[in-house]
Amino acid sequence: MHAFIAALGFGIVTAAILAIASVGFTLQFGATNIFNLAFGSTMTASAFVAYVATEANLGLWGAVVFGALFGTVFSVLLNRAVYLPFVKRGARLFEMIIVAIAVTLLISNIIQAVWGASFFTLKLAPTPALNFGALAFTRDELGIIGVAVAAMLCVHALLHHTRLGQAMRATATNPALARNCGIPTTRVIDVVWAVSGLLCGLGGVALVLVTTSFNPQTGTEFIIPILAVAVLGGIGQPYGAMLGAVVIGLMTQLSALVISPEYKQAVAFVTLVVVLLLRPQGILSEVAEQKEVVA
Amino acid sequence: MHVRVSGSKWRLVLAAAAAAALAATGAGAAGVAGAASKSSLVFAELNPFSGPDAAFGPEMVAGCDAAVGLIDHHGGILGHKATCKGVDTHGDPADAVPAAEQMIATVPNLAGVIGPSSDEALATVPILNRAKVPMMADTGQSAFTHTTSQYFWRISPADDVKGYAMALYAHAHHETRAALVFGNTVGAQSDTVTVLKGFKALGGKVVDNVKIALDQPSYNTEVESMLGKHPDVIFTETDPATAATFFSDLKQLNHTHLIPIVGSEVTLEANWVQAMVRAVGGKTLKSYQVGVQPYAPPSGAAYTTFNGALHAVKGFSKTTIAVYSTDPYAMGYYDSVNIYALAMIKAHSTNRSAFNRDITAVSNPGHGKVVVHSFAQGAKDLAAGKSIEYVGASGQVDFNRWHNSTGAFEVAGFVHAGKIRIVDVVSSAQIAQLSSKR
Repeated sequence: MHAFIAALGFGIVTAAILAIASVGFTLQFGATNIFNLAFGSTMTASAFVAYVATEANLGLWGAVVFGALFGTVFSVLLNRAVYLPFVKRGARLFEMIIVAIAVTLLISNIIQAVWGASFFTLKLAPTPALNFGALAFTRDELGIIGVAVAAMLCVHALLHHTRLGQAMRATATNPALARNCGIPTTRVIDVVWAVSGLLCGLGGVALVLVTTSFNPQTGTEFIIPILAVAVLGGIGQPYGAMLGAVVIGLMTQLSALVISPEYKQAVAFVTLVVVLLLRPQGILSEVAEQKEVVA
Repeated sequence: MHVRVSGSKWRLVLAAAAAAALAATGAGAAGVAGAASKSSLVFAELNPFSGPDAAFGPEMVAGCDAAVGLIDHHGGILGHKATCKGVDTHGDPADAVPAAEQMIATVPNLAGVIGPSSDEALATVPILNRAKVPMMADTGQSAFTHTTSQYFWRISPADDVKGYAMALYAHAHHETRAALVFGNTVGAQSDTVTVLKGFKALGGKVVDNVKIALDQPSYNTEVESMLGKHPDVIFTETDPATAATFFSDLKQLNHTHLIPIVGSEVTLEANWVQAMVRAVGGKTLKSYQVGVQPYAPPSGAAYTTFNGALHAVKGFSKTTIAVYSTDPYAMGYYDSVNIYALAMIKAHSTNRSAFNRDITAVSNPGHGKVVVHSFAQGAKDLAAGKSIEYVGASGQVDFNRWHNSTGAFEVAGFVHAGKIRIVDVVSSAQIAQLSSKR
């Protein structure tokens, strides 16, 4: 029982990281229909910015702020400088996936060229685990859970209690109609990329805080579970992604205990397949319509 | 204007085209027919240069470059210079097979291969054997302990025996409750068999056997489960990122302490050590972790020659030299190339099938043989008509009828960046005794 409750706790930490990252990913996809596979490598780049911040003795909060800031700015620039020109030339979903893969490789290789194919750790004092009965969390993990909850509440508030959020939802639902109604979709898309980038940066820093060691490929490998969560929750559905993160996060940790640690990733995908068999559109999504790529 | 060509001229053209085609197809088989005069002989390094085992490739480069540098300095092999060529398998059989096939088809004067590693051996050994390419494999898989592949040679001990060495060391330190933490890869899992068998034969108890998925963001569940079983030693082999995350989680959940770690040779690789130092701290690593690898004492005439050759390689930094000067695998690769070279001289041929038969003639001990410790010495004695036994930097090589050579193991610990120290040696006699126990 003790081990089961402990695994639940660890699952919550994994779910928190997945939630931050996958909500950012799916929010952006929902509005733009661009499958930004470079999301994972952007997380890595944000992690390296955080690394530089800790090497400059700016501490944990310096790492978080700079990592998140980098993710925000980089994502907006990525859309403006790379994706938007392709969209304007009439690139469809498949072509944009190829572009995103190319960007992923570019980012990973630039990181490797600058920092080398080595392993890095954020220069922070190690924190022992704090026990709450059977649950064990480090201070960093509690912080990640807190940031994840705060981020989800902020996303909810943005989407449902602000005009900007209304505009984002309108653009995601029907960009052409939103434009015709006077919504400045280009600016709204910029904001979507900025919010997605902010969550990407936060996700990258959270990921490397938990893994301890990271390298130029870390975020690129993490895109797989992010995609799994986004699809599970219903692609383009932020609330679905939150729910999907909890499901996948808990399933992977509990499976390590009940079945075997070597099948963690397999269990995540089996869960995804089972849910999709029962509900092909994902947990929370309505039936998906064919949408144009928007940038 | 339409030009008519006479019948005899067409025959000439066709003959020239056929000759050109034959010459082109002969390029990949030059090693079978014998290398063209004055051409360079190529020793291919068939190993991962990228992926989780990316550290293997540079190790191979260190040994091979040191060897060919010295060979060329002393006149080459039967009038040919020697050179090395990296062939990246990415550590994945799916990538290794086309890489090996392309290497065989396109590398002119392919003399021999160093490699393959455990990551790709099962897939590529049959291909190399079929193409009659000698290979000095660095795989430890037990599948090759009784191989019938005539072109397969294993200069370093099999994984079968490495696990016994790990168990013997832990037993000598009165550790009786072991947890195994091995990655779910072919190479890592093949090591667990003899660790389990050996440790149990010594009276130890295996309390946990964790096959972990690599590169996960967290291993807290696995660590918590393992801690509940109270092991007093951890046997391990995983890639650097996985190890850093796992043992960092262990340190956090175990009140900032680790549990004594006995790792395979992977845990003495530079990138593994670097990742762990950054994750758990150098002092902690030094106090808790040792790794087991084939014993190659950094002393003696053969080692001095190897070390000098390594220092002479153009482009090697001081750090590179420091890392590989005591690396038994780099020494093994260096010896592998020297054995190939001496076998070619003995056979008076660069034909792969011809000199493959002479590999044991220049390496195995035998009555009346002169022991040599370098290529130059061996080439000179062969030219004088003597029989030689090459004993290189990695120690004596004695291939059995399955082309396997075994030896002792050293147990080494981290000292500081680029340096490890030998803390113990497990002899081949101890290993033989343990492996014979049921």
